[in-house]
Amino acid sequence: MNPPRAFKITHISVLSTMVAALTMAGTLAAAPAAAPSPQAAVTARQAGYKKMGGAMKALNEQLKSDAPAKDVMVGAARTLATTAREQPRLFPAGSGPTAGVHTDALPDIWTDRATFDAQMGKLIAETGKLLTITNGGDVAAIRAQAKATGATCSGCHRQFRADS
Amino acid sequence: MPLDEKSATGTMFARIWDAPVRLFHWLLVALLAFSWWSGEQHEMEWHRLSGYGILALLIFRIYWGFVGGRTARFAQFLRGPRAAFAYAKSIAKGPYAAAPGHNPIGGWSVMLMLATLAAMVVAGLFAVDVDGLESGPLADYVSFDQGRAAANIHGFVFNLLLALVALHVLAILFYLVRLRHNLIGPMIHGRRAVSGNDPVEDLRASPSKAMLGIVIAGICTYVIAQGFRL
Repeated sequence: MNPPRAFKITHISVLSTMVAALTMAGTLAAAPAAAPSPQAAVTARQAGYKKMGGAMKALNEQLKSDAPAKDVMVGAARTLATTAREQPRLFPAGSGPTAGVHTDALPDIWTDRATFDAQMGKLIAETGKLLTITNGGDVAAIRAQAKATGATCSGCHRQFRADS
Repeated sequence: MPLDEKSATGTMFARIWDAPVRLFHWLLVALLAFSWWSGEQHEMEWHRLSGYGILALLIFRIYWGFVGGRTARFAQFLRGPRAAFAYAKSIAKGPYAAAPGHNPIGGWSVMLMLATLAAMVVAGLFAVDVDGLESGPLADYVSFDQGRAAANIHGFVFNLLLALVALHVLAILFYLVRLRHNLIGPMIHGRRAVSGNDPVEDLRASPSKAMLGIVIAGICTYVIAQGFRL
């Protein structure tokens, strides 16, 4: 039995909880309300692109198979179209490679913002078209539009993403 | 001592590398260079085909390591660390006596390069590009994230392989410059000059077994390239 020691541990943990709570409150107060922080933006956009990459992989697998499953293709196209719309706002100023966070985003995104935004617009348009065509169910047409959408991805990546 | 031929100067030659070993070696050099180039250029259709070529070479070489000519067999050139140390010591002491095939250190170098090559090929089979557009033939069996991890491993192992190739070339230059022993010529024409007190056993490489190996490598590669969906 060792009550003083147990008390001490409790004391320290209460203290550290209080410190942690205070730190968190401070961070929340300091954070701007609207725009995501650079690190949060990088994390969010990477998660979005991974979702899109996975959807594109799933779609291409169906298109390669002898009997493409329409529901899988529609699901993938929907993920692509929905996620594409969320991506443009995840590139706030300061979330480039200078922010000290790991990102393959090239500085050109912010120095040539008009071109980047045009590419983003194209991505939203192509993925929207892909969803419409996939809903139509014509496999040859889906294949052609999947190719066009993929070309939009790689075209923008060549210009604005570090090739690793 | 089976000596193939005698040159005009009276030097005797013995065969030390069979034709499949030499073909494997130089085709691998060519396909590795082409794979690197096509990968850099994002010519993924060519990159995949080149990779299938390397896969077929690898399968053939493993098969040939069991049934090939004397110097091609793993059992002949895989020696323990003691033999490797003894060989290093004999090199340092001199005079240099050529090994009748891979020397104990060269044998380990070959195994290390083959293992690295195999790791790179296997990772490439499961690799997916960042857009989810291009992928290896077995990528359907893994998730996007796993495929991305495979692609990263594929690239990392390639750098590892480059380091081993650099070491390989440096070793050959060391033999050429310091030991005055040309290892490049024999890998091209298969023969090495021998003296009377330097017995080199016959290779006994079987052409029919080589043919069988080519068929096996071709079928295995085709099945893998189809993602086991026949």
